[in-house]
Amino acid sequence: MTATARSTSSRNTMDATRAATEPRLSVEQVSYAYSPNPQQAPIFTLEATSFHAKAGEVTAILGPNASGKSTLLQIISGALHPLSGRVLLNGFVTHDLEPRARGQRIAMVQQESQLLFPSKAWEFVMQGRHPYGRSLRFETDDDVLIAKNALAQVGAEHLSDRWMDQISGGEKQRVILARALAQQPLLLLLDEPTLHLDIGAQVDLLETLRRLAVENRYTVVIVTHELNLVGEYADQVVLLQRGKCLRVGAPASVYQRDLLEQVFQTQLTVELGSTGRPRVSILPGSGS
Amino acid sequence: MPHGTRGAFFIFVGFAKKHKNICRESCSALKIFTSSLFLRAVVAAALLCVAPGMAHSRAEQTPSAPPAKDSFRTVQDETGRSVRIPVPVRRVVSLAPSMTESIYALGMDDLLVGDTDYCDYPADAVKKHKVGGAINPSLEEIASLKPDVVLVTKGLNRLETVQALDRLGIAAYATDPHTVDEIRSSVHRLADVLGNPAAGEALDSELLQKETSLHERLQNSTPKRALFIVWTDPLISVGKRTFIADALMLAGAVSIVESSQDWPQMSLEEMVRLQPEVLVFASGHSEAVTRDMEALAKRPGWNDLDAVKYRRFAVISDAVNRPAPRLLSAVEDLARQLHPDAFAGRTGTGKAAGPAEKN
Amino acid sequence: MRPLTLSRLLLQCVILGAILFCVMVLALKFGAVHVSLYGLGRDLLRVFLGKSTEISSEYSLILNIRLPRILLGVLVGASLSVAGTSFQALLRNPLADPYVLGVSNGAAVGAILALLLEPHLALTPEIASVFTPLGGFLGAAIAITAVYFLGRREGRIDSSTLLLGGVITASLLSAIIILLLTTMPSSNVRGMAYWLMGELSAVPSRPLGWVLRLGFLAAAAVIYTTASDLNLLLSGEKEAMHLGVDVRRVRLIVYIAASALTGLAVAMSGSIGYVGLLVPHVMRMIFGSDHRILIPASAFGGAIVLVMADTLARTVAAPAELPVGAITAIAGAPLFIYLLRRKLA
Repeated sequence: MTATARSTSSRNTMDATRAATEPRLSVEQVSYAYSPNPQQAPIFTLEATSFHAKAGEVTAILGPNASGKSTLLQIISGALHPLSGRVLLNGFVTHDLEPRARGQRIAMVQQESQLLFPSKAWEFVMQGRHPYGRSLRFETDDDVLIAKNALAQVGAEHLSDRWMDQISGGEKQRVILARALAQQPLLLLLDEPTLHLDIGAQVDLLETLRRLAVENRYTVVIVTHELNLVGEYADQVVLLQRGKCLRVGAPASVYQRDLLEQVFQTQLTVELGSTGRPRVSILPGSGS
Repeated sequence: MPHGTRGAFFIFVGFAKKHKNICRESCSALKIFTSSLFLRAVVAAALLCVAPGMAHSRAEQTPSAPPAKDSFRTVQDETGRSVRIPVPVRRVVSLAPSMTESIYALGMDDLLVGDTDYCDYPADAVKKHKVGGAINPSLEEIASLKPDVVLVTKGLNRLETVQALDRLGIAAYATDPHTVDEIRSSVHRLADVLGNPAAGEALDSELLQKETSLHERLQNSTPKRALFIVWTDPLISVGKRTFIADALMLAGAVSIVESSQDWPQMSLEEMVRLQPEVLVFASGHSEAVTRDMEALAKRPGWNDLDAVKYRRFAVISDAVNRPAPRLLSAVEDLARQLHPDAFAGRTGTGKAAGPAEKN
Repeated sequence: MRPLTLSRLLLQCVILGAILFCVMVLALKFGAVHVSLYGLGRDLLRVFLGKSTEISSEYSLILNIRLPRILLGVLVGASLSVAGTSFQALLRNPLADPYVLGVSNGAAVGAILALLLEPHLALTPEIASVFTPLGGFLGAAIAITAVYFLGRREGRIDSSTLLLGGVITASLLSAIIILLLTTMPSSNVRGMAYWLMGELSAVPSRPLGWVLRLGFLAAAAVIYTTASDLNLLLSGEKEAMHLGVDVRRVRLIVYIAASALTGLAVAMSGSIGYVGLLVPHVMRMIFGSDHRILIPASAFGGAIVLVMADTLARTVAAPAELPVGAITAIAGAPLFIYLLRRKLA
């Protein structure tokens, strides 16, 4: 067995003992407080928040700006330590995991920092294989295969040999997603992935995410403020406002008109679309 | 290509080939393989670093001594180091202009096989084989001349040069005179070290006579308070412990600078407060100094010095900068300029070993 | 898709090693004294075979003077380049190098202080020989720590702030060096000032030479184990962390190792600039920014460059010898400007 296959299967064996019916991701009473100065009172808090997510599900963390969405995502990813509570992934506390173990289970897609030196798309995607195998290693044929596969799954195979600084925003987003897929994660986290995309690319991305979640049994958590995308594609919504979790549930139950109006501070209407999913429309001239 | 380099190249290539084969064989055991290969690469790199070092150290053990020198003697140089010098001394390299001058003054210049680019006195010294600067000589040049002893001074040459010569097994004899008397005895001892005590005796008594006669002439004159100017911007003078300060005393002057550093930078205000009676410049071109004085007189701060205002300055040859016998002629010259009455009505004493005085 | 394989890495190292070898042979040939390569090779072979006594005296001269100097150049050049590569990766800034970050000056201050202290301490000869390099290493470590703390903003390394911190530290340390030089006992001043310009003629004694070689190997090997991590760090610290890089550990290891390399290099040969800055750049242009090949390539490249610069330093104004730091600066600055313009074009 190759090194990579061995490590993946060992991870799967450990995690497979948790039945598929149990929630894979458990966010339990997670709270956070940030103060720039230890003496000062915290300028930002996230109050105790809980939710669960299963494999194959897409959960959206929804809310206006500065509601604590990204902070919650960072805590879920294990990068931030919560003030209280914990995040369990298949029973493992995420922020207790070693970096490599975490990298094999959790993949994060976020706004990319400026690349210092140009690299090719396939090199970029190969970075996703880093958590597997030893630190100083050369990529195996398996790694190459997995990277190719990841690019194919996001429909970006043709970008394989292109330089990262020469492709469009949407294409870059796909390559970044491919890198996350190359990590073969259990949990796929995305922080505002639709920010710089046009509507067609946005829909494309969400479709891909839903498909991948089902096909590859990912647990997907996506942070966004796009109401209608969430309404259409999410299985579960966590609604936040100013650091407070107001509701958790399926879009149909969370998309109540008064609740949304209170959170987003604008008048709107909620209807059921043809797919059975809620659709939100703004009423012009009613912003406050 | 010569044998040596070709052989090494093949070893290189063979090593790489060997590893490429192993690479293709054990793809599936890449993990274990990588670690051991990495170790092997580190070991190979270690060998590469070590091998030239080993070759070099084996070569080091080869004495690069000149042929057929049987006897040595150990002397102590003026910095307290023990120096092992072959007997007799046939080849000498000088790394300081003052040492070159001293050798010529002793009449032992046939021993001199190399000197620095800056050894310009006497004119013959220019024709000797040059080994570079005093601070940055070429070790290879020095070694290729196969000297029995290399002459250095603590004030000019670097410790690193002496250490490098030590490592090569070349004797380095250092002088470090701080007074005129020490210059005299240093040259005397040098003659002993180089194997010709008689020359040392002769020169020593000649210099001693000059010194004594200067003492006599000036015994009734009050020493003038002087400021010796090495540089004007910034103002740099000479410290108390230098031979230049001592030379000034011999010339009937006393340096007003109280500093233990050799080349202290002084504050102009302090000099104005002390008001030296005369400024002393060491230069080969007295007309240039006169021009500089005119320029100085126009500058604020400098013009507050009485010596500048009233153009009270003396120019002597730059021989005063080198701790060598020629220094005494410059001292004599300065004494004449500072205390003309002590020399009035008398003819010059003894033979002058230096160039014609400029005045 | 052509990921880096071990065989390609080794092949490139062999090629670079061969170039370095040729440069070293040429450096042996050129100098104030005439050398014939045939005679030299013949004598080298004799030494290897143990027949040292049969060497002609001219070549023992070359082997005793020129060869150690060339070897020191290889070591110092490789150390500075690997340190430069590491700093550039870690700080995510292509302008980072030991000189710019003030680490070189820190090492110089440490070395000067060690030199000043040494006569006053009763040291055994073994410790005395490593005292100055140790001072250099400590000085480098302190400087890089200071720069690191100066470069933090909101708890994270901000690249431009760090560079600014480095420049400030460098100039502060430079002032300290000048202060030390003007108050030191005068006999050492001229030598120290010359040494600070960077020169390779102060070849270390045997035990110290071993310390240096092993120290270089150890530090370079340690840095090399983080090569893949450094690749990921180029994408950003947060991204690297999510991809399984233990950022804090990597940062600590690389800082210490790169400081060690710089400290040793400066302690032995004074402050040689531009090598740590430009060699990684050029190697990156040729080999790409994968550190698994970039680090060894920089090591070889730095060695090649410094040996060539030293050969020039020995021959251009023969028989006087120029400080090698001056040569690297004169050659390096225009090259840097050219690279900068190419990048902006």
